[in-house]
Amino acid sequence: MTDVNTPAIACQNLWQVFGPGAEKALTDALSRSGNDAEKAAADLSEKGFIPAVQDANFEVKDGELFVIMGLSGSGKSTLIRCISQLLPGTGGEIRVDGENVIGASKKALTELRRKKLGMVFQHFGLFPHMTVAENVAYPLRVQGIGRKERLARAQEVISLVGLEGREDSFPRQLSGGQRQRVGIARSLAVNPDIWFLDEPFSALDPLIRRQLQDEFLRIQATLKKSIVFITHDIAEALKLADRIAIMRDGKIVQIGTPTDIVLRPVDDYVREFSKDVAKGQHAKVASVMRDESECGPDDPGLTTAMTLDAALAHCMELYEPVPVRDESGAVVGTVHPSDLAAALQVDES
Amino acid sequence: MTAVTDTPSQQVHLTVGAKAALITVIVGALCLALEGAAPWLVKWPTAWELPATEWVGTFLDWFLNGIKPAMRLFSDLMTYPMDAANYVLGNTPWPILIGLVTALGWYLGGLPMAALGFVGLSFVLASGYWVESMNTLALVAVSVPVALTVGGAIGILANEVPKVKSFVQAVLDVMQTVPTFAYLTPLLLLFGFGPVVGLIASAIYAAPPMARNVMLGLERVEPEIKEAAIMSGGTRFQQLFQVEIPAAATQIMVGVNQCLMAALSMVIIAAVIGGFNDIGWEVLLTMRKAQFGEALMAGLVIVVFAVVIDRMSGTLATERKRYDQRVVWAVLGFTVLFTAAFWAWLPNPSELTILDPMADVIDSGLTAFTQANGPWLDALKNNSLFYVLLPLRIGLDQAVLPFTWGFQWTPGMSYGLFAVGAGIAALMAWRGRLTGGLVVLILIGMLETGISNLPWPFVLTATAALGWVAGGWRLAVLSVGLLCTILVSGLWERALLSLYLSGAAVFSCAVVGGLIGLASAVWGPVWKVVRPICDMLQTIPLFVFLIPVLMVFQIGEFSAFLAICAYAIVPMIRYTRHGLINTPEEMMEAAISSGATEWQIMRDVRGPYAAPTILLGLNQTILYAFAMLVIAALIGTTGLGQSIYLALGQADVGLGISAGAAMAILALIADRMVQGFAEERRKALGL
Repeated sequence: MTDVNTPAIACQNLWQVFGPGAEKALTDALSRSGNDAEKAAADLSEKGFIPAVQDANFEVKDGELFVIMGLSGSGKSTLIRCISQLLPGTGGEIRVDGENVIGASKKALTELRRKKLGMVFQHFGLFPHMTVAENVAYPLRVQGIGRKERLARAQEVISLVGLEGREDSFPRQLSGGQRQRVGIARSLAVNPDIWFLDEPFSALDPLIRRQLQDEFLRIQATLKKSIVFITHDIAEALKLADRIAIMRDGKIVQIGTPTDIVLRPVDDYVREFSKDVAKGQHAKVASVMRDESECGPDDPGLTTAMTLDAALAHCMELYEPVPVRDESGAVVGTVHPSDLAAALQVDES
Repeated sequence: MTAVTDTPSQQVHLTVGAKAALITVIVGALCLALEGAAPWLVKWPTAWELPATEWVGTFLDWFLNGIKPAMRLFSDLMTYPMDAANYVLGNTPWPILIGLVTALGWYLGGLPMAALGFVGLSFVLASGYWVESMNTLALVAVSVPVALTVGGAIGILANEVPKVKSFVQAVLDVMQTVPTFAYLTPLLLLFGFGPVVGLIASAIYAAPPMARNVMLGLERVEPEIKEAAIMSGGTRFQQLFQVEIPAAATQIMVGVNQCLMAALSMVIIAAVIGGFNDIGWEVLLTMRKAQFGEALMAGLVIVVFAVVIDRMSGTLATERKRYDQRVVWAVLGFTVLFTAAFWAWLPNPSELTILDPMADVIDSGLTAFTQANGPWLDALKNNSLFYVLLPLRIGLDQAVLPFTWGFQWTPGMSYGLFAVGAGIAALMAWRGRLTGGLVVLILIGMLETGISNLPWPFVLTATAALGWVAGGWRLAVLSVGLLCTILVSGLWERALLSLYLSGAAVFSCAVVGGLIGLASAVWGPVWKVVRPICDMLQTIPLFVFLIPVLMVFQIGEFSAFLAICAYAIVPMIRYTRHGLINTPEEMMEAAISSGATEWQIMRDVRGPYAAPTILLGLNQTILYAFAMLVIAALIGTTGLGQSIYLALGQADVGLGISAGAAMAILALIADRMVQGFAEERRKALGL
């Protein structure tokens, strides 16, 4: 792995504009507006261009699960295709392990994909004429790795996703959930450092979706990849993410932890998303904790990582501030039970 | 853009359709009124014609002579694989070939396909046309690989280089509309008489469907599959050959199937100039000698080949399942043993006369049939000619004669007819359907004048009007521009004759085919009967359609008309049914729950929803009719088809290519207009 201080992925002023001669149009628009992204985007739209991603800035840390969330048409699929260089990127920088990939040679990109990147697709993108094993082994085949060796490696990842026994099936003989397992296995075949998942569970029915989400978390717990995960489902984002970026009309409107998103939405658009979410299940005690030491007499045993729901259940009959402990058991702050209740009621207004 | 109904409103506001129709009516009326004073309005004066055909001829002669040495070299080279294929197919003992085809049939489609191969080839053997069939097959066997390679390469190239794509697409579109015989004349000059012309013509004719399907297949590969190949780290070459082409295999196999059928069809048509010992030539020869029994037998041999080749290659595209290879080896082993064991007793296939009595029976049966039903058949033919086709062609004013209709058409009758037309138009206009009324008036005018006598300003105006309504002013300009090239090149009259015959055939096909399609859509059993007939009609090479009509109705325009209809009706039936059947279930349920009757659902829901699809069917029917028009020239049509055929006989490249181009222009204009209307309907429905 790389140096801890270098982020796995860093996007700076990233633009993806569609239309003939987009690159020049973007430079012109930016210089006219004095590098004001919003004005430049409006300018481009007016001229018939489509600024699908506008001035995106974010970093994905090593081993971080970074979720990009937005409705359809918000530009999230374009953004992930930009980072994975399936689209060229019109302006800005994308650093993968510190190296800018925008404008990189075809050969360098192929090499990068063969060694460091893996991607899972919404509709699986399985090769219909290959068996499960051949599909999974394909990224190794293009590198010229021998049949025996690549099938042995394929077998490993197939076991990892729990598809033993289906190696010789063709994609058409599998269910949706099984197909996506193949997609996941294939993306892991070369043991990439960076893992792109483009709405991997959106095409599955809710039960299978939850099952695969749990398995995905299990796999990630052992593999610790740096992940960019796209979804339109806020519940999925909150469940999986270390951090979430929310996109709207090509812009990233907020980046934050699940708790930030739920408790401190930056605008009505984000608030609208979190409205339907049972906040108490996602926000943690840490988010309402005060940096005070004065406490009441009771100690219901709150910890920073507890959800608000759980904490409230412990403080049902209490009115005085109570102490909060961290993982080691040391008191790190206090919580007013009234804050707990208030935090859960924000949206009722 | 347009609405068929005009809503009455205080201020007179005309829709595009009404304006276009009104202008057409005015121009038509002016032409009729000035007919006497200015005859040049009706008939384009010869003095104004440009010798375009000669120019084209001179240029092409020069051009063809320039590339002749290279082409002759190519044709000399092609004789090697051809001789080889001929030698192999001609010298392999027939039991082994039958065994091979049977085994292949088994492998591709199991018992039914094996039986089809076995029975089919046994029939060919018994017919006594084995040697001729093998000669034809040898041509196909050489031309198809050439067509597949060239077509596949073009398809891949177009896919890889976006700039090439639209150009390739345009060329393929034009090639589809240029009639088959038109290819042959320049090839004749380049390669001289002989089988090589047929070979190259069939390769040229069969490559476009392959290219088209490769392009389509590659285009339709799911974007995520392509992206997955990229993200797997494949080079472009790896992506294309390891992922995209295999993923597009089904569509490419459709291309292989179409390529095979086109090659077979063309090889048989090319026999017209080939004069070499193949099955197409046999049909032509026996037809010319009026030995219809034998012509039909030879025609059946062609049909058998077409069906066997089509069904077997069809399974490549549809069925994934392949059958036990052990059976294949067993069948092959058996045929080899059989051949070795009975070597001395194997009959020479060309001496087999098992089915000769059948040909005689057909001949005598046919004679008996035509004799017994002569009056009735003649009446059908004559009535259709005198009361429908002829008035359409030269107009009521000339077609109505005492000899046929029992009275003489007088100018007074014309005025009466126009008065009736004007009355209907006025009535419809008053009911708020101005456009419809004007169209009725135009049609009545055309019936009175006859399509071949239409004044050229009227035709140009009407075309412009239709183009304008169907696709805006661009289409109008394009259509009129293209028509003008025909007008000044001196092919105008022939073009109108072609337009008349194909128009009559398309109209009949639209009505009859539409009704059959409707019946098939609402009543399952009808489709069960109609479907195999449609399949059969689409498999048969064009040429064979001529045999039965010729047998019953002899040479003439009516036979040509029937042959065109028989071939062109199929798409109309298929698309009509398909459109009506595929109305979304929810839409039907909504109509039913609104309390609509069966008939109301058909009229208000299924019909309008199917309209774009039916229009596409009409489009196909038009293209089919034009394709068949040229073939039908063999049995007596006038117009462009005849010119192309004559040019072939005289090796007149200028006339052949010009007439072919004129035909392609007519087909192209019709195609664009119908597509325009279909597109508009689709947009209106939000599809």
